[in-house]
Amino acid sequence: MVSEEIWALIQIFLFPGFFFLFFLAFFTEWVDRKIVAKFQNRYGPLHVGPKGVLQPIADFIKLLSKEDITPRMADKVPFNLMPVLLLSLAITPLFCIPIVGSNALVSFEGDLIAIMFIMSLIAVLVFIGGWASTNRFSTIGSIRAGLQLFAYEIPMNLAMIGPAIAAGSLSISKIVDWQIHGFWNLFIQPVGFAVLTISLMAHLQRVPFDIPEAESEIVSGWIVEFSGKKLALIRLAKDFEFVLASALIVSLFLGGPYGPWYISPIIYLAKFFICVFILSNLRAAFARYRIDHLLAGAWKYLTPLALLQIFLIKVLGV
Amino acid sequence: MTFEIPFGPQHPALEEPINFMFKIEEERVVNVKPRLGYVHRGIEKIAENRNYQQLVYLSERICGICSFAHALCYSQVVEELLDLKIPERAKFIRTIVAEMERIQNHYLWLGLTAKEMGFETLFMYAWRDRETIIEMLDMISGKRVNYGMSTIGGVRRDITEPMIKRMEESLNHLEARAEYYTKVCTKDPSILKRTVGIGILRPREARALCAVGPTARASGIPRDVRADEPYAAYGEISFKVVTYRGCDVASRMYVRIDEIKESIKIIRYALKNMPEGPIRVKAPMRVPEGEAISRVEAPRGENLHFLKSNGTDKPERWKIRAPTLANLLSLCRMLMGVNLADIPVVIAGIDPCIACAERIALIDAKTKKLKVWEGKDLWRYANEWYRKRYGL
Repeated sequence: MVSEEIWALIQIFLFPGFFFLFFLAFFTEWVDRKIVAKFQNRYGPLHVGPKGVLQPIADFIKLLSKEDITPRMADKVPFNLMPVLLLSLAITPLFCIPIVGSNALVSFEGDLIAIMFIMSLIAVLVFIGGWASTNRFSTIGSIRAGLQLFAYEIPMNLAMIGPAIAAGSLSISKIVDWQIHGFWNLFIQPVGFAVLTISLMAHLQRVPFDIPEAESEIVSGWIVEFSGKKLALIRLAKDFEFVLASALIVSLFLGGPYGPWYISPIIYLAKFFICVFILSNLRAAFARYRIDHLLAGAWKYLTPLALLQIFLIKVLGV
Repeated sequence: MTFEIPFGPQHPALEEPINFMFKIEEERVVNVKPRLGYVHRGIEKIAENRNYQQLVYLSERICGICSFAHALCYSQVVEELLDLKIPERAKFIRTIVAEMERIQNHYLWLGLTAKEMGFETLFMYAWRDRETIIEMLDMISGKRVNYGMSTIGGVRRDITEPMIKRMEESLNHLEARAEYYTKVCTKDPSILKRTVGIGILRPREARALCAVGPTARASGIPRDVRADEPYAAYGEISFKVVTYRGCDVASRMYVRIDEIKESIKIIRYALKNMPEGPIRVKAPMRVPEGEAISRVEAPRGENLHFLKSNGTDKPERWKIRAPTLANLLSLCRMLMGVNLADIPVVIAGIDPCIACAERIALIDAKTKKLKVWEGKDLWRYANEWYRKRYGL
């Protein structure tokens, strides 16, 4: 009885809980920075740790120690709360993702819906944070973040529903489980996979869809007034969002921790970093789109394609 | 909802201090007011206390990127006053360095514009290739930025046979890269979306607002000092004045990439047909009384230097008109009606160099009269302003 509780504690705090996730978030940021640097003919982080692997942690600690400024005109309560809420909302869904075996730490019927809801909440929080800073650039940034939500949310959710329909369950663990017996969803629903990847790029606000924080246009948009600890938390939350995005793709389309031979977190991590590679690759390959380009593209192409995918699943019965 | 957005003087999209006050209506610009005067350096005033030889080096520091164009323009205007005939070889070396500077500037511009549209990868690539030409300039002149090549009566360093060999290799590399960028910039959908039809300047407007350089040529106006009024060795080298009729940022991009290829051809021809002989003649310290102007096609457009001498070894008046100032009016026209997201791309489109274009004129608002202020007047004004502002 006692040992079971200790086991649960280890699972929550060490692996695959908080400690592992923090480590994974920082490591993913480093991988992302290194890959993009390679594509852009640069070195990327070099100095802290071997090949600069500790650079994200060093950045985080440095930001924590910096002066934390709240603008006089800002709406204090939402402005101060926003980074904390953002971080907690970004970590929470990760507990629903199965990393070892087919059972996640938290698993219930409908956790996919909960994750969709939390992902929308993150976008709303971004809007609130930018709006509460009452800076002209962050106001524009937050309006753009809101508009961007209209563009990517529907195709993203439709693409995430596709695997659920195929598996006949709204629980991520069950969707993963279903993929052992059949094929990976990637082979059954390639269109859904592409739509989800593109929408997640928009959700993560990465180039080419870094429209709400476009540095050369609106001086990093909604983030501009955040500094010190708040900025550190926001950046960590962004790392977690990135981890969540890759983890979702792995769980929904690449069969989670199941490999051709055996179940293992190593298989899971291999798939995870393939996703990270794809997302980083896309980041290096495009110029930034304008918000109207994104809205038009999302409604003209992404949403119909996602609908087509669901239609195909229903008609073909796979 | 209409609201005002300031761009600059400190803004990550603008490397240099200029302020634009945009009136925005639903993310569209309805009005724009530029404001200069943040980095006025008083170069024209400094010039009145230096002799002609020293001014060659000052002229190079007008602009960091088109430094040779200014030095060349200044040397030419003094040579005209002195009625000095410079050796043929010096003319060819001047042409070569001027064209290398153009290549260097256009690669820099391509990178910056890519950065403004959020395409960091292209930015890194363009600047890496720019390094090749900068190394060549370093090899010829010993410096990467202010080359110190032009002087009154010729050039200061010769181009030797081993240098020519190395230059030919790097020119081949640069030509291949220019071809590659042509392909990227005409095919990549995300670049096309951000540049085609953005920042329109019609030919009629370009003519009326006196646009110069690649900005004018992208509106279909073949205005190029190298062809219209050949200086250095341009009269003996045939080349094409690149024009495009798109009138938008994309055309400005294509004009510059094609100019890189033209420049490479000019340099190749000049290296092959360079005559033997001395590279400079001795110039006297004193310049006879008179006035002269000289025009040079800098990478950004037309440079104009006016010089008035009074018979001593120091000029009485030296007036500089850098290309950015000529293009500023066209820029304001281009910015009308563009989307907020396109402002940085359009501003970068004219290749602005604000420090070159700085001007100050003190005009009394009531009497409309021009005032001349000396150092102590400025001192007094600054003190008064701070006293009033902070109630000291």
